[in-house]
Amino acid sequence: SWSLFFLVSVVWVVLVCLLFCSRLLSVGAAPICTNAQAGCHALSLANLFDRVIQHSARMHGISNDLHSEFEQYFLPSKNQIGRVSRNCHTSTIFTPNGKENAQRMARQELTEVILKLLVAWRDPLWHFHQSIAHHHDFNNFSANKALEMSDMVHELRKGVEKVAEKMQMMGIISNSVSSLASPEALLPSDSAEWRLMKDYDLLYCFRRDSNKVQNYLKILKCRIVPEHGC
Amino acid sequence: MSLPFLRTHCGTVGARMWRDLGLAVLVLLSAAVESNSTSPPGKPVLLSCRSPEKETFTCWWEPGSDGGLPTTYRLYYERERLEGVHECPDYWSAGSNSCFFNKTHTLIWVDYYLTVVASNALGNATSDIFKMDVMEIMKPNVPENVTLLVVETEDSPYLHIRWEHPRNTDTESGWVTIKYELRIKQEKNNKWKEYMSGTQSHFSLYSIAPGGVYTVQVRCKLDHGSWSEWTNSTNVKVPNYVQNERSFWILVATLSAIPFMAAMCILIVKRENVKQCVLPPVPGPKIRGVDFHLLMSGQSEDSTNALIINQNFPLIVGWKDQMEEYLIVTENDIGPPSDASHCQKRKKSLIIPAGFCSDWEIQCKSTHIQNDCAGGTKNETGNFPKNNKSLSGESLSYMEPSKLQKQQCLGQNFVNTEATDPSPLNYDNAVKPFTNSGYVDIRKHVENTQEVNVKQVDYSRVEDVNGDNVFILNNKNLAFNSSGYMDFQRQEEKLSEDYSRVKEVGSNNVVVLQIQDMSADTKNPHATGAHKMGVCTELINSEYIDTIPAPPLM
Repeated sequence: SWSLFFLVSVVWVVLVCLLFCSRLLSVGAAPICTNAQAGCHALSLANLFDRVIQHSARMHGISNDLHSEFEQYFLPSKNQIGRVSRNCHTSTIFTPNGKENAQRMARQELTEVILKLLVAWRDPLWHFHQSIAHHHDFNNFSANKALEMSDMVHELRKGVEKVAEKMQMMGIISNSVSSLASPEALLPSDSAEWRLMKDYDLLYCFRRDSNKVQNYLKILKCRIVPEHGC
Repeated sequence: MSLPFLRTHCGTVGARMWRDLGLAVLVLLSAAVESNSTSPPGKPVLLSCRSPEKETFTCWWEPGSDGGLPTTYRLYYERERLEGVHECPDYWSAGSNSCFFNKTHTLIWVDYYLTVVASNALGNATSDIFKMDVMEIMKPNVPENVTLLVVETEDSPYLHIRWEHPRNTDTESGWVTIKYELRIKQEKNNKWKEYMSGTQSHFSLYSIAPGGVYTVQVRCKLDHGSWSEWTNSTNVKVPNYVQNERSFWILVATLSAIPFMAAMCILIVKRENVKQCVLPPVPGPKIRGVDFHLLMSGQSEDSTNALIINQNFPLIVGWKDQMEEYLIVTENDIGPPSDASHCQKRKKSLIIPAGFCSDWEIQCKSTHIQNDCAGGTKNETGNFPKNNKSLSGESLSYMEPSKLQKQQCLGQNFVNTEATDPSPLNYDNAVKPFTNSGYVDIRKHVENTQEVNVKQVDYSRVEDVNGDNVFILNNKNLAFNSSGYMDFQRQEEKLSEDYSRVKEVGSNNVVVLQIQDMSADTKNPHATGAHKMGVCTELINSEYIDTIPAPPLM
C-alpha cells in the first residue's frame, strides 16, 4: 500500500504542475487587440508605450555592445583628423537634437520621425548582419547580435505603428500620418547611400539613431500618458 | 734638444685653449639661462568632457608648460552640421582650464571636435583633437538627501532608505532615465554590499541585525552613461531591544526543554514499567478448576465433567414463586377422596422436588403420604417407592429440617409412584394419621419440556390436593415433557438422579427418601454420600418438603 500511495501522490503532483503551467502559459499568450473585441484583452496606450520603449532600449543596448566590440577589434582612427564627419544616411531626416526642440515638436511629427528612422534602417541592418556573418574576424556571438538587432528594428517599427494607430483612434494625433500609409515613401531618395559606408560607420550611425528613437518614444509617452516611469 | 722647446710651446698653447673654452662655456650658459624663461607654451591636453543632465556639458584640459611667459588657452570646436570653427562660449563657469557649453550650444547626437590652443608671446601650442558626442559623456551628479530610517514592525525591523535625484536632472519629461545603485556596509565588516534600485528613489533592507550600525552610499547614472560618484556616507544605528526579547524566549525554551529531556530519559529507562502501566497484560481466559491444557488436549468427558462439577449453581428465586404449589401430605387414610375416579390412577407417591442441588435439603418436618383412595389404604400407602437405594445404609432417611430455601433446586418434583402396583411394600403399617400436614413442594414448569422421552413409569403426578392431607395422584404415564416437572433436557439416567423415591415411611412421620442411582456407572459418586438426606421428623403446619437431589456428578 505504501508504494501505491506514493504513486498516487506523484501523479497528483504532476497533474497539479501541468495545470498550473498551462494556466501560466495561457495567461502569457493573451492576444493583443487594438479594437476591444469580445474576449480580447486590449492593452492600454501606456502599456503599448512601455512595451515599445523597452524594446527600443534593448535594441540600443545591443548596438552599444557591438560598437564596443568593434572598437576593440578595429581601433578606429581616433588619430585621424576627425573633420571627416560621418554622414549617416539618415542625416537627411530632420531630428530634434535637444530637449527643448524635442518637446516643442508636435506629437504627430515626432511619431513620423520615429517611423522614418526605423524604416530607414531596415535594409542596412540586414546587410550589416550579412557582412558580419561572412567576416572571419567576428565570432558567432557578434553575428547573432547583429541579426537580433536587425529583427528588432523590424518589430519595433510594427510596434510603433500600432501605437500610432491607437493614438489616432483615441484622437491624440490626426489621421493623416503619411508614414503609415506607405512606409517606403519615407525612405530617402538616394537610398543606396548606406551601401558605401563601412561597417563601423554603419554601426556608429545606428547606435546614435537607436538612442534617438528611444528618447523620442519616452518623450512622447511622458507627454501623452505620463502615469508611470516619467 | 727640440723636446724642451716643444714642451714650453705646448704649455703656453694649452693654457690659452683652456681659457677660451671656459669663456665659451660661460657665454653659452648665460645664453641658455636667458632663453628658458621665454618659450612658446607646451602642448595642452584635453582631459575629459562631461554632461550631467544631457543638456549642457563641460570640458577640461590640462595646460602644458607655459614657457615662462603668460600663456592663454583657447578652446575651439567644430561640430557636425555646423560650419566654421567656434570658440568656447564660457571659460569661467566651470572653473579654470575648463569650457562650459550651455543649452544653446549643446546638441545631442552630433559630434564635436575640440582643440585647445595655448599661446604666449613666443608661440602657440595646439592640443590633439578630441572628438566627442554628448550622448557618450553623460555622468550625473550625486543623488541628494540620503535619509535612513529604521522601521519597527512586530516581527522584525527593517531599514528604509530614501534619497532624491540630483538637483539639475530632469527626470519627469522622459528626456533622461535615471537609475540608482546603493551600497551598504555594517560597521564590523569592511565589505560593501551593493544593491540595484532601478528608477526608484527608495530602498528597504530587511533582516538587519539589532544593535548594528549601518553605512549607506548611493549613486546614479543616466541612460547608458557612466556612474556618478558615491554620496557621502550616512550612518544609522539599529536599536537593540528586539534581541533581548528573543533571547528571553530562547532562555524559556531551553529551560523548559530540560525537564522534557529528563522525562524522556526516565520514560526510556523505565520503559518496561511504562509499558506495563499503559498496556496492561490482558488476562487470558481461565476457568477456575479447569486446566486449560487439559481442555486443549481434548478429553471431552473430563473437561465437561470439570465444567459441570465446579458449578455452584445459584438458586433461582422467582421460579419458585410462580410455580410452587404445595401439597399437603398427610398420613391419614381417612379422608374421602374427592374424586373417586382418580382413585385408581392415583398412586401414592411422594413428591420429591428435584433439582441440581449440592445438598439434600429437605424441608418438611414430616411427610406422610396418604392415599386417599378408598380402596386399600394400606396398599396405597404402600406405594411408596421402592427402596433400592444404596443409601439405606446410612441414615439418610432422616431428613433434617432445614430452612426452606427457595430455589434450591431447579428440578421438578416428581412423585414417585408405583405403577399400579398394589403390591405391598415393605412399609409397616404404622402409618399413622397425620396430625400435621406438611406441604410438599411442587414445582411446576410452565414451559413445555421438549423431547425428553423419559418414560418413567415410576412416577406419577400429584394431581390435586384434596383437603388436608390428601393428594391425588395421577397415574398416567407421564411423558415428562407434559408436566411442569421437567427436567431440562436431561436424559434418563440423570433424570432419575434428580429424583428420589420415598423408600419408606417411617414411624414418626418420617419419609425416607432414596436417591435412586439409575446410572450404572460406578463413577457416580452418589455412593460417597456426601450429601445428607434428611427426613422430616414432624409435620408441622405449612411446612414444606423440599428435597434436593444431590448433584449427579460429584
